[in-house]
Amino acid sequence: MTVLSEHILEEIRDLPSKFPQPRSAVMPALDLAQEELGHLTPEAMTEVAHELQLDPGYVEGVATFYTLFHLAPTGKHRFYVCTNLSCMLRGADDVVARLKSEIGVHEPGEVSKDGLFSYEEVECLGACEYAPMCRVDHAYHYDLTPDSIARLVAERRNGGSAVAAPKKARAPRKRKADA
Amino acid sequence: MPELRGTVGGPVVTEWFGTQDLYKLDVYKQKGGYAALRKAMVDMKPVDITNEVKTSGLRGRGGAGFATGTKWGFINRDMPGPKYVVVNADESEPGTSKDRYIIENSPHMVLEGIMIAAYAVGANQAWVYIRGEYDEPYRMLTEAIAEARAAGYLGPKPMGIDFPLDIRLYRGHGAYICGEETALLESLEGKRAQPRSRPPFPAVKGAWGRPTLLNNVETLATVPWIVNHGGSEYAKRGTEKSPGTRLMSVSGNVKKPGVYEVELGQTFRHVIMELGGGPPDGRNVKVFWPGGSSAPVLPESMLDTHTDMEALAAARSMGGSGGVIVMDDSHCIIRAAHRLLKFYAHESCGKCTPCRVGGDWAVRTYERILANEGSQVELDILQRVSDALQNGRCLCGLGDSAGWVIDSTIRHFRSEYEDHALRHECNVGAVTALA
Repeated sequence: MTVLSEHILEEIRDLPSKFPQPRSAVMPALDLAQEELGHLTPEAMTEVAHELQLDPGYVEGVATFYTLFHLAPTGKHRFYVCTNLSCMLRGADDVVARLKSEIGVHEPGEVSKDGLFSYEEVECLGACEYAPMCRVDHAYHYDLTPDSIARLVAERRNGGSAVAAPKKARAPRKRKADA
Repeated sequence: MPELRGTVGGPVVTEWFGTQDLYKLDVYKQKGGYAALRKAMVDMKPVDITNEVKTSGLRGRGGAGFATGTKWGFINRDMPGPKYVVVNADESEPGTSKDRYIIENSPHMVLEGIMIAAYAVGANQAWVYIRGEYDEPYRMLTEAIAEARAAGYLGPKPMGIDFPLDIRLYRGHGAYICGEETALLESLEGKRAQPRSRPPFPAVKGAWGRPTLLNNVETLATVPWIVNHGGSEYAKRGTEKSPGTRLMSVSGNVKKPGVYEVELGQTFRHVIMELGGGPPDGRNVKVFWPGGSSAPVLPESMLDTHTDMEALAAARSMGGSGGVIVMDDSHCIIRAAHRLLKFYAHESCGKCTPCRVGGDWAVRTYERILANEGSQVELDILQRVSDALQNGRCLCGLGDSAGWVIDSTIRHFRSEYEDHALRHECNVGAVTALA
């Protein structure tokens, strides 16, 4: 029994042929794994390595280098809040403070008790004319205030249909326990 | 789409911006899009295209400002085997959002520039390395590529010429270092993004060991205009050594943050006070970063510095990525420098010791100063770390950039550093009281 489902493993096996050299498939493959499981477990990285005929240590080395790969569980909705200079000068710290209290966590990466939320303080996301801003559920949100970030949380907590579910929501989390 | 904040209907790159649905192929074509590709492939020889870009004097808009036409000329078009164009869309320099602005407004203009470049250097395949957080630009480029394929601009015989062309997208995963071209290539090859030693340069041995042209999004988006109007027409704008226009992302403490197309040679006073609307009422500009966070800071007294690369070099700074970050007098320079050093420490790839170790040293030193535990020792450490990071002691520019933040903020705000470190006072409080 693998932690990654067979159709994901199949997609991963198809990746190398899309690149001039097969090694380029490692990050797209890790994407698929992370999308299914929510974060990259050692077992998942080993399976990716196996499918791509790479050393597991190599794959883990790549995964740990990039901030968009998560090696620990995250909330269902991950807030990436920019706190770099342009956003900081326009109140990003207040936005982060409110977000933390709204979702009830103390530090970046910590998952809220209901499992719905976590946040990261991230570097510049390249939307500085709309500072302060954040990325959540594969979309940017602009001109943030403490109140507007509280609304973003509330919309997701209430599961309103207006909010698109994040891609990885389709992956059943209990899979890890099955393994 | 959110409200557009920046230049529409500008002189060069933003000429067609603001047009409803410009991102669609038929609208782009109605405006005159893909005429440059036709002209390049049907009426011009590849070497003529490169010469036209040389005549324009266009310099790379990613940060280094290298002459674009010269870079194209480095690729040996007749060399057998695959060659690649790799597009740097990993925009991550703090304060820089122009490439996102371009892609979201006019993805086909980027594609057209890529195709012209690929034809000029003899590359049949181009890869756009786009930062992973750019969901919307990725989606727009994906759709634009599909449209261009369906229309035959990409495929076996674009414009009826027997020169197969393909453009693929590759998503980054959050690493500032990938803006450095050889680190980007490592990442594209599925590795940790650590810069390579040069030589060999990418023009000889780039992506997957093959000759590769690497250009920034804005650089390539400028190419169709140059082909349409001629290099000499482009060179009429701007200054002699920094011709043309560039997009400047103006952010921070200004009333009208936005991405503005600026003719090079204009002053930062024009960019910040007029285009950007100046600081909030009752505030003054304290300092600005003229070309992304890596460009050494300039104080308010240097607002009349011109935007061309030569004027910036004379002011001991640089044009960098065109990201203009403005900070007003309600903010503390030590806190700003501390935040940026945290950034450089976090983004160090770890390959070179001065950068791997120096960033953290600086962060810890700033934290002691901000906790009112500073002394002359801390000021000396900052100066030593700053020196150790600069002047070619690291393989790429990340170390230098971190050093320049320390160095330039101390150079222009020494008394503020001394107030903090030696007297444990923040003079921003004093300024606030005066305001």
